[in-house]
Amino acid sequence: MFSVYKKELQSFFYTPFAYTVSALFMFLFTFMFNNQLGNLDKPQFQFTFPEIFYNVIFYFIFLIPILTMRTFADERKFGTEVLLMTSPVNVFQIIIGKYFANITVFLFMIAGSLFFPIFTAMHGEVIMSQLICAYIGFFFWGAMFIAFGQLISAFTENSIIAAIIGEIVMFVFIFIDDFSQTDFIAQYPKIQAAIYAFAAQPRFAYFSQGFIRLSDLIFFTSAIIVALAWNYIAIEKRRWNRG
Amino acid sequence: MITIENLTKFYGNNRAVNNISFTINDNEILGFLGPNGAGKSTTMNMIAGYLPMTSGTVNICGNDISKEPVKAKRNIGYLPEIPPVYPDMRVKEYLSFCAGLKRIPATKKSSEIKRAMELLKITDVKDKLIKNLSKGYKQRVGFAQALLGNPKFLILDEPTVGLDPNQVVEVRNIIKDLKKEHSVIFSSHILSEVSAVCDRVVIINKGDIKAVDTIENLEKSLGGNMILHIKIKGSRATASNIIELTKGVKEISKINTEGNDFFSFTVQLEGDSDEIKNSIMSELIKNNIQISEIYTEKPDLEAVFVKLINKQSSKSGIQELYDEIKSENPEKVALEKEDNK
Repeated sequence: MFSVYKKELQSFFYTPFAYTVSALFMFLFTFMFNNQLGNLDKPQFQFTFPEIFYNVIFYFIFLIPILTMRTFADERKFGTEVLLMTSPVNVFQIIIGKYFANITVFLFMIAGSLFFPIFTAMHGEVIMSQLICAYIGFFFWGAMFIAFGQLISAFTENSIIAAIIGEIVMFVFIFIDDFSQTDFIAQYPKIQAAIYAFAAQPRFAYFSQGFIRLSDLIFFTSAIIVALAWNYIAIEKRRWNRG
Repeated sequence: MITIENLTKFYGNNRAVNNISFTINDNEILGFLGPNGAGKSTTMNMIAGYLPMTSGTVNICGNDISKEPVKAKRNIGYLPEIPPVYPDMRVKEYLSFCAGLKRIPATKKSSEIKRAMELLKITDVKDKLIKNLSKGYKQRVGFAQALLGNPKFLILDEPTVGLDPNQVVEVRNIIKDLKKEHSVIFSSHILSEVSAVCDRVVIINKGDIKAVDTIENLEKSLGGNMILHIKIKGSRATASNIIELTKGVKEISKINTEGNDFFSFTVQLEGDSDEIKNSIMSELIKNNIQISEIYTEKPDLEAVFVKLINKQSSKSGIQELYDEIKSENPEKVALEKEDNK
């Protein structure tokens, strides 16, 4: 497992990949930060970091699939999947190794954003409890997206297709909440409740307001477990169905 | 020892490998020979544990590959048809990653990598990115990967494809050297290669095993008859008459006209070739026909191979019945049967 993790990190950090993704993330974060600063003049507006995070998660639709698109698609494309499958490691160790590597790059991205709260704290006041909760929520949100992105990457050998499908899935994750609020769905309360149960965004909202609720943590953790287990099944199924 | 029993693989309704069984002994080089699409790669993928089998078992040193994959895979090094290398890695990095995958202890890692690199002569490219290497080098890097950890069994799927003639010879020598410590299963569609390197061969076509034997035995059993080449000056009709009537001549397979009055005959023999050669020679001289060239040769291995590949596999009774009913032309079936006999 560790060797897979190490190799993945090498492929991220020995190439411009991790830096490019992080730079893009920083660019978007800065853009959001600036945007919020511009709103300071408005009387009813409150400048908070959770608000910024809340907006930044929309950019994850594009960022996370770029991070995860190569995870399994490239192994298939280069024929290196054979190497992994014929080595004395089991498939689950490979999945976990790759997942942790993706998470590490994600943490590297988040680490860059720490610059803004520190900068703000130097010149003003930052509500620490809220900020920490927002970071925890942000981490779980990203971790869930990465698990799904990795799963989608296992379905295809074309990393571009993996990225596009990933974007669609993440789009659904973000807007399923709005969708369940539409008048049409509201006519059927049971369906609405069922769809709403999958909505991740309101759960993130709790984090950004400074709440850590057990139910939200369980939601994100179980989503990650489901995606990783599915990832395992997808890889095994493809081995059986090959040809 | 690897024991393969009743291994079968279906791709959908398509049968790629049909109920094959054989064993690979310790310190032996086993050639796996067959035309393209015969099921070689599929079989090797199953032995290495990459593809699951539809039915049958592969047992590596007492561990079933599908039941105890991790234990079984420790004993094998696999080089697939396309070398499984990461283009963005450097050679040494890649080998270090593979060593980690194979759970080689950290203390032995660097010496193991060094040994593999020296054996395959890739030490001079160790700091190069794999994507910048030529096909031959990539192949060798993949080969080095299979050697890491000194696995008991090496499974090499067409290791010499895409190499230049020099490299082919080098790789063959490496494989021969490996015999001291390893067993090698080595697939190829090139017969001369297999006969140059292997102790035993498994010949496979369309998923069926056609033969499992040593090269010498195969030659004897299927192509024991010698071929006589003879070049004469004189009457073609008289010469061919004499040759045909000599005892032990099976048939004249070819007559070429080479310039004025020169003819060359290719003759299939049965039995003691020297005796036949001598009696043909003396008969020809008696009839005033000059012999400018005469020699016998063994039938080439390619012919044996082709013969084996095209040999009908023994069908089950039901299958035979079914074929007969299906065939609209009963005469053809009868002819085919005769051929088989």
